[in-house]
Amino acid sequence: MNVASLQQQFTSDLAGAASEADLRALRDKYLARKGGLVSNLLKDVASAPAEQRPVLGRQANELKQHIDTQLTERLAQAAARKPAADAIDVTLAGRAPFIGHRHPLTLLRDRIESFFLRQGFLIVEGPELEDDYHNFEALNMPAEHPARDMQDTLYLASPVTSAVGSPATLLRTHTSGMQVRYMERFPPPVRLIAPGRVYRRDNLDLTHTPMFTQVEGLVVGENVTLADLKGTLETFAHDLFGPERRTRFRPSFFPYTEPSGELDISCGVCGGTGRAPADARSVSPKPAERQAGEGGCAMCKQTGWVEVLGSGMVHPAVFEAVGYDPERYTGFAFGVGIERLALLKWGVEDIRLFYENDLRFLEQFPL
Amino acid sequence: MRLPYHWLRELVSVPADPEGVAATLGLRGFEVASIEQGAQPVIDFEVTANRPDCLSVIGLAREASAAYALPLTLPDRTLPPADDAKPLEVVIEDAELCPRYCAQMFEVRSLGASPAWLRDRLEAAGVRSINAIVDVTNYVMIEMGHPTHAFDLARLNGATLRIRRAKPGERIRTLDGLERALEPDMLVIADAERAQAIGGVMGGADSEIGSGTRVMVLESAYFKPSSLRRTSKDLGLKTEASTRFERGADINAAPAAIARAAALLHQIGAAHPLGAMIDRYPAPKPPLTLTLRGARIARVLGETVEDADVPKILGPLGFEVKPVEARGPRSEVRNEGTSWNVTIPSFRVDVVREIDLIEEVARHDGYVGLPGTFPTLTAPQPPPDPRMLRDRTIKQVLIACGMSEAMTFAFVEREAAAPFAGSVEPPALKNPLSEKYAVLRPSLLPGLIDAAAYNRRRERRDIRLFETGARFTRDGENRAVAGVWTGAGGSSHWSGAARAADFFDVKGAVEALCRTLGIEVTVSAAMRPYFVEGRAGDVHVRLNTEATAGGHDSAARGQNHLVASGSPPSREALRGDRDEARRAESGSRILGEIGQIAPAILAARGFPPNEELFAFELDVDAIAALQPTGDLRAESLPRFPSIVRDVSILVAAILPAASVRGTIRSSAPDTLVDVTEFDRYLGKGVPDDRVSLSLRLTFRSPDRTLTDAEVDQAMDRIVAALVSAHGAIRR
Ligand SMILES: [Zn+2]
Repeated sequence: MNVASLQQQFTSDLAGAASEADLRALRDKYLARKGGLVSNLLKDVASAPAEQRPVLGRQANELKQHIDTQLTERLAQAAARKPAADAIDVTLAGRAPFIGHRHPLTLLRDRIESFFLRQGFLIVEGPELEDDYHNFEALNMPAEHPARDMQDTLYLASPVTSAVGSPATLLRTHTSGMQVRYMERFPPPVRLIAPGRVYRRDNLDLTHTPMFTQVEGLVVGENVTLADLKGTLETFAHDLFGPERRTRFRPSFFPYTEPSGELDISCGVCGGTGRAPADARSVSPKPAERQAGEGGCAMCKQTGWVEVLGSGMVHPAVFEAVGYDPERYTGFAFGVGIERLALLKWGVEDIRLFYENDLRFLEQFPL
Repeated sequence: MRLPYHWLRELVSVPADPEGVAATLGLRGFEVASIEQGAQPVIDFEVTANRPDCLSVIGLAREASAAYALPLTLPDRTLPPADDAKPLEVVIEDAELCPRYCAQMFEVRSLGASPAWLRDRLEAAGVRSINAIVDVTNYVMIEMGHPTHAFDLARLNGATLRIRRAKPGERIRTLDGLERALEPDMLVIADAERAQAIGGVMGGADSEIGSGTRVMVLESAYFKPSSLRRTSKDLGLKTEASTRFERGADINAAPAAIARAAALLHQIGAAHPLGAMIDRYPAPKPPLTLTLRGARIARVLGETVEDADVPKILGPLGFEVKPVEARGPRSEVRNEGTSWNVTIPSFRVDVVREIDLIEEVARHDGYVGLPGTFPTLTAPQPPPDPRMLRDRTIKQVLIACGMSEAMTFAFVEREAAAPFAGSVEPPALKNPLSEKYAVLRPSLLPGLIDAAAYNRRRERRDIRLFETGARFTRDGENRAVAGVWTGAGGSSHWSGAARAADFFDVKGAVEALCRTLGIEVTVSAAMRPYFVEGRAGDVHVRLNTEATAGGHDSAARGQNHLVASGSPPSREALRGDRDEARRAESGSRILGEIGQIAPAILAARGFPPNEELFAFELDVDAIAALQPTGDLRAESLPRFPSIVRDVSILVAAILPAASVRGTIRSSAPDTLVDVTEFDRYLGKGVPDDRVSLSLRLTFRSPDRTLTDAEVDQAMDRIVAALVSAHGAIRR
């Protein structure tokens, strides 16, 4: 065996040595006085022709030196790597602290509240049991007004005492009653949001629950305009859904606002095209998005737009009911269901999930 | 409202395809539900409750004519010449409920099928074809939005129609075959003998036209919307006609609808008018005229609309617009720039004040081009509602305690509520969705127990949930926070098995929560029907001047709720609270409870057997009223070392630890700063009815270093007190 091939063999042996024992075995294999491969090589040199001996001898000694250095170094490294007696396996699972989760509706409500707080809005809360006057009449919906059909109401079997006024007869269908109470008590300017639970006699299905959460807003002043409403709502929609979403403000009807309007954003599923997303079928396991097959996008019913909230300029009749001068003051109001925003924002496919309190659902949302 | 595209094009030659029309009207307030393509394209619009005029082809065509600036062609509405006939009589006995009633007799010539074009249109509009006469009345209703009704004259008793209120006990069999009892506030169309139709809602079966009908009377009227709506609701009878009338029909369309029906009946050869049309309209309503100010438009919209554009927008919608001459004293026009006198067409029942006209201008001028601005803040805002901040704190603490927030319905099953309602019935709903949601919750616990059971049935062992929200009694709403805990008391880990949760996990969370809110609470044994006996406690706060001084905020006082976040309570109110607090000084107040839910309740709610669920509920309004509001005062850190002494004693097993701590505190010098039990042992070496309790006492003085000797002396006094008070034996 010649020097070059022996060097090659050592290099490959060294690369394969994993443990300290492996390295010690290599030392024996190559450098043992008896039977070591390098020792044998040196013996061969003695029997080589005299003129080759000096060169071969030098090469063999250099190889011996090289192997010795390499093994010594690697053994030192191996010794340094040896675990301490009290070492731990850092890859074992950590001890998880008990930390709960905010409900997703709270998460979203907090986010909405923080947006409006930044815009200088006050947050107020009102009673969930209301009287007919604050829930309907003061809002330009006298008895037998056809618009009362828009909000199917849950009534109390008998009136219940209320700390804030006449006995309550119904579960509020919106938080607008709170706005009326605020205006009854404080003069303009007003700039508030009223979040809270509201109730309607809707059967449970994918998009309805008899209790849901609303955030309503109200701004009243001497120069509040429909353009201000539009600007506020667009900013809100962009804050919540991202600046890349397009918005659309179009006329609508609510008895307590005139003119009224609804804000739409471009559909997040189809990107506002109304067409079926090319890969919706393969990437989305959700029925609502999967159905978006040949017929087009099911989320937005192929329109490319999804409705986000309802709004309008406060009807002068509402101002008259609370004693504000409708000639001097103008104002806007808006209302949005937090559940609906959550469906749109997070792709939650069934609104009932918010009230089933399945921890597997709740724990998907950050603290 | 299903709008057949070709029908629309007959009235307005819109250049756009169905999608284009849908998009254009969609941006003018008519939301599009769907578009059907094919030979008979149909656009289905969702018409809002304020626009009954657009529950018709003409109404939507008028909108399209304004949107596309194209003329609107109304169909032929001239009454064909009539044959002579015996007179018909109409008597309006209640002009309040029926201000106008028109009727026309017809000789019926054919009751067969209508021609194909008519049937196709009806079908496209979503109406089933019946026979030529019914089809024409439906056609007129869809085209003009005005419902009419046909009676068989021969089946009426006499030739006089009386428009009156129903008589007590009066009944009618309606076209749907049902026998209905009428109330005296319901309007009926009657013959000499009895009611033959419920005005504007549905006709009677007895005078229904049929194959034998020779002469029919066609009614076209206007009914008072609110009364009609109540009738329709009370009878549970909603028809195409009632839907239109209750939103407000066009009072002037009553004769026009008869003329249009006559023209169509004549055209298809189904019937021919007999005698003159009767039009009873005792007190004709003059048209409404409103003043519209240009400056007001700009003030509401935030954008100026050119003077010239206003008549251009309103005119095609049927409004008559005349500029107001700026003569007379200037104050009359209030220096508001251009103004217009606008006469409102009778079909626009929704336009009753200036703001409604401004909406019309905005609607057709386009919300799209409106700039997006931001309202100016003209006054500083009051501070935030303390309730809101408190709710956030409550959630944060409980989340930090490992509990997740739940939200459950405010209404629950009667049986689920019963154990928590005490002896009083919880408030019930008059029209609950189902028995599952029959009563308002008297406590948050029924909902949380159900939520825990729901999770438990889904293989979840460790459940920690809380909820904040309102609970209800006949005395109103009360804000509460509650939680449930089952499974492990600590996280499970490979290093050792998790401890099972117990009462003290929940108690610890409650203590942490109350302490964060600035209140020190104690817990004493209590009995509740929904808790396991011997495993429940009341959460108290001791009422003393220190705990309550200044500790109130307006929103929380009393039961809750109104308002005025930010408006500080009046001095009077505060004084009142303090007086009240002083009166209660010596006592303590119960803020809530902690306990293990009774197995019977868990079983009833579908919780697996032999498992423990621990729970708490606290009155947040009560806590709020007791919270300190003054600024926190930071305490100096101790400057002298403390001395710690442990003591182990044998006492009666039934003796509450609180009593032992109380004896220690009352017999100890002021230098005792803390006493905590650190071990409790029952079993070997301890007599049966006794328990070994070990306590750690910490002594410290704020102004000097304590000596061992004085602490030993204090300990001797304490042990002596424990011996004499509880028969304690030191171990
Ligand atoms: Zn879409």
